[in-house]
Amino acid sequence: MNKEFKQELESIFRDITVNITDDVTPVIAAAKPQILAILRFLKDKGYGHLAMISCVDWLKEAQFELVYLVSAYLKGDNEEPGQEKITILLKTRIDRDNAELPTAIPVFENAEPYEREIHELFGIHFTGHPRLLPLFLEREYKIPPFRKDFDSREYVKEVFDKIPFVEDKE
Amino acid sequence: MDRNQIKKWLESPGKMGHKYSLWAVYFCTGCGIIEIPPVITSRWDAERFGVLPAPSPRQANLFLITGYVSVKTLKAIIKTYEQMPEPKYTVGFGSCPINGGMYWDSYNTIKHLDKYIPIDGWIAGCMPRPEAIFIAVTHLWTLIDKGMAKGYVKYRENYGRYRENQEKALGKLEWPRLFPIKDENE
Repeated sequence: MNKEFKQELESIFRDITVNITDDVTPVIAAAKPQILAILRFLKDKGYGHLAMISCVDWLKEAQFELVYLVSAYLKGDNEEPGQEKITILLKTRIDRDNAELPTAIPVFENAEPYEREIHELFGIHFTGHPRLLPLFLEREYKIPPFRKDFDSREYVKEVFDKIPFVEDKE
Repeated sequence: MDRNQIKKWLESPGKMGHKYSLWAVYFCTGCGIIEIPPVITSRWDAERFGVLPAPSPRQANLFLITGYVSVKTLKAIIKTYEQMPEPKYTVGFGSCPINGGMYWDSYNTIKHLDKYIPIDGWIAGCMPRPEAIFIAVTHLWTLIDKGMAKGYVKYRENYGRYRENQEKALGKLEWPRLFPIKDENE
């Protein structure tokens, strides 16, 4: 992870911000159509492990931020020089109203459960995903519960608090 | 054996048997289960009180619910509770089963567990110390002695209401009713 890597990235992909400093995880911010290409590029570079996909809801800016965390397996037992930073963050922002994103399964197959989880909790649609079924939740929610405009207190008042105690009915 | 208890043993041997052999379902939910390994192993040794983890709910009569109950866990709790033979005693461990605890406004956590299954006693605290389990067990002994630990009878009598509450939280349940539901209008 060095300047050459940054230059290579910036020469291949347009309109991306690469932030590589010595003390934080390297961050690549890119636009939505480039995500798959960058993931494939990183995979070819040796970052062959998708650690997680996460999502941040920016309510005021009306955007979702998708965060891909990819990391490299070290070669051999000892860390090679220049390989101390083995995790890269890849970020992209999408519109909140039309929350759609191509699925990362063609590049990293283990993206499937992460994308199902994000679909369930944030309501983002991943085009091309083979089965976007509910993963954890048993109940149905009008607004996906991890969106910032989901009022969990109101939901609790409406649903759980309205269930009466068994003694109260008598 | 305590000489003072000989009379009790002769009067109601069944009750005394239940009382001194509380077998707990090894059911893990939430963070409270982290207190159970030291309780059943040599440091606190729950077997002094006759409490043992049971291999199956069908051989157990004590149900410790250790921590927050999500909607999915409630399903498992109801299934487990209905499999246990009577008499059975339930104890809610920690503040989360009581009223949700720190998950009081969570979208997917059951707030009051006693709306869905009967609870004989609560151990408050977040987390309660292992000693609290023994205090609860000795309290439960007193309750059993006085015939006050009647949660399972309550469940049988008010099964219609419990089932209704369960269906409100979980939607349609896929297992059959445990008891026939009495018509309240009769």
